[in-house]
Amino acid sequence: MKKELGCFVVGDSTKCTGCRACELACFTVHNRESNHVGKTVGTVSVPVAPRLFLTKFEEGCMPIQCKHCEDAPCLNACTKGAISRIDHQVIVDAEKCIGCKDCMQACPFGAIALLPYAKDGKLVAQPMGEETKVFASKCDLCAGIEGGPACVRVCPHQALRLVDPEAEREEKNIKAAEALLLTKNWR
Amino acid sequence: MIVEIDKNLCTGCRECAEVCPAYAIVGEQGQPQTIDESRCVRCGQCVQKCKSYVSVLTHGKDAYERVKKERHIPDCVQEPLFAAHAVCNVDKVKAALADKEKFTIVQCAPAVRVAIAEEFGEELGSLTPGKLSAALHALGFDRVYDTNFPADVTIMEEGTELVKRITEGGVLPMFTSCCPAWVKFLENNYPELKDHLSSAKSPQQIGGAIFKTYGAQLEGKTGADIYSVSVMPCTCKEFECSRPEMKDSGYQDVDVAITTRDLAWLIRDMGIDWNSLEEMDFDQPLGLYTGAGTIFGVTGGVMEAAIRTGYELVTGQPIPDVEVTAVRGTEGFRTSTLKVGDLNLKVGVVTGLKNVIPVLEAVKNGTLDLHFIEVMTCPEGCVSGGGQPKMLMDTDQAEAYAARREAIFAHDRELPYRKSHENPAIKKIYEEFLEEPNSHIAHHLLHTTYCIK
Repeated sequence: MKKELGCFVVGDSTKCTGCRACELACFTVHNRESNHVGKTVGTVSVPVAPRLFLTKFEEGCMPIQCKHCEDAPCLNACTKGAISRIDHQVIVDAEKCIGCKDCMQACPFGAIALLPYAKDGKLVAQPMGEETKVFASKCDLCAGIEGGPACVRVCPHQALRLVDPEAEREEKNIKAAEALLLTKNWR
Repeated sequence: MIVEIDKNLCTGCRECAEVCPAYAIVGEQGQPQTIDESRCVRCGQCVQKCKSYVSVLTHGKDAYERVKKERHIPDCVQEPLFAAHAVCNVDKVKAALADKEKFTIVQCAPAVRVAIAEEFGEELGSLTPGKLSAALHALGFDRVYDTNFPADVTIMEEGTELVKRITEGGVLPMFTSCCPAWVKFLENNYPELKDHLSSAKSPQQIGGAIFKTYGAQLEGKTGADIYSVSVMPCTCKEFECSRPEMKDSGYQDVDVAITTRDLAWLIRDMGIDWNSLEEMDFDQPLGLYTGAGTIFGVTGGVMEAAIRTGYELVTGQPIPDVEVTAVRGTEGFRTSTLKVGDLNLKVGVVTGLKNVIPVLEAVKNGTLDLHFIEVMTCPEGCVSGGGQPKMLMDTDQAEAYAARREAIFAHDRELPYRKSHENPAIKKIYEEFLEEPNSHIAHHLLHTTYCIK
């Protein structure tokens, strides 16, 4: 059956310790080619720009990232055509992004941050100035990256998981049906 | 302190506390942690673990440059900086290199040559002794010597000490003393077992003592003219070289220790392009080394090197197989019995300091029947040291350790001499200077008594 809904990654604040391994892994895998980031810290020459954000609150902490909304407010808000939906995922084209913050404002989860943009191991300056160009940094579910979402892979406490909402709904349907059957037998 | 946690950056995840073998990291979950200096063994495993980086979003735009300055890290560095970090002594080395009055000698540990290239984008575990030597020459050191040479001296001294303890009824089992974090752990927690430690100093300190005496003589200089730098995979080596007992040359034997990561920063800072370096040899005679010296970088390596030489010293016969695979491996504690002439030599190897506690308890209770035990603090020995290149993702750690380890063994296989006592430079230094292993002068310079707190 054709998958109708996009997947997303979600954190679990009861498991998360706040170590930021997910943020660092996210940055690493997204900058291997574009910024020559290798496996060791010393290969990095640009600021860490993650696409999910460790969030501390009174009861604990967890990373927050994009839900890949089906009617994505960020996509609707972008006037530059820098955000598009590819294979169910909401993806930012950093080259087209002008840093207007409309998508940031529109996102109800704060899942987009404006962060310094780097290419070929160097920060990119704004075309008409000396300031560093920024881009809307958000989860792309590690599109095109081997092994799938890096944050899920590196979390030492399995506090992140990839949700396939349609598959999970079906699973819950089956469980509910089985539960109902038991109820019927009992009656 | 040599290893610190920046409370402004620490998220209180306590992942470091999980890897700390000394239970030295203190704090509430979710709150910034502190290191209990009296318990800490300076192994730097917390530094390797910490992922809590200086973030533009959390700490502000100017935080990165501010932290870099506070830590005296060279300006050229742009890599992420983390809450748990080790002291950076690069500026001390730069000052010494710029001082024309000083005759600078550098040594580098076996595990550095299988890891430093990773910082310049090469494959994990790339073996680059020639480039490492070339980089150190390019930095302007007057002599580029090698810790593998004093590692060969360690084998002569420690091996002889072991044979004496066995044949003359000394304290057994004897523990290796090359790993300063292990020595500190024993001092802190089991001082009553101090006589089990070999009195031989670590290769770094043997190198330091030799460079400022014999090394100085070779140059027509005195120890006062020499500035001695070591490059180590270890954060604790700086602690070791500043110990008050490490002054037997008449001066501080090693002036400063920097880590593999520090050296990568220094190379960049001095504008040296790693990728275009032409390979060079280490300087002679104190940079000539054997495969035995090089395997010190992996768990079981000191034991294997000691057996290669000890077997031949005891039996007078060549060892049947130079590769003593019985002591290799990565398990936390492994033992084996080796036939050395009439003696059944019982040895143990501990890697990962947490694994030493039951061993020490057994020694205390007199229930452990072994002659010689090697102990290394870090998970797989020095290749996994706290000063080594740090993985961005912990999921790469196992691959890095395995590749570095394999590179160490590959280097051993390719070297012309694989036993410490066959090293021509070792023969020469004993003829010209040290007389014989455990001689009076060797004892004065190359041995020590630990447990001065």
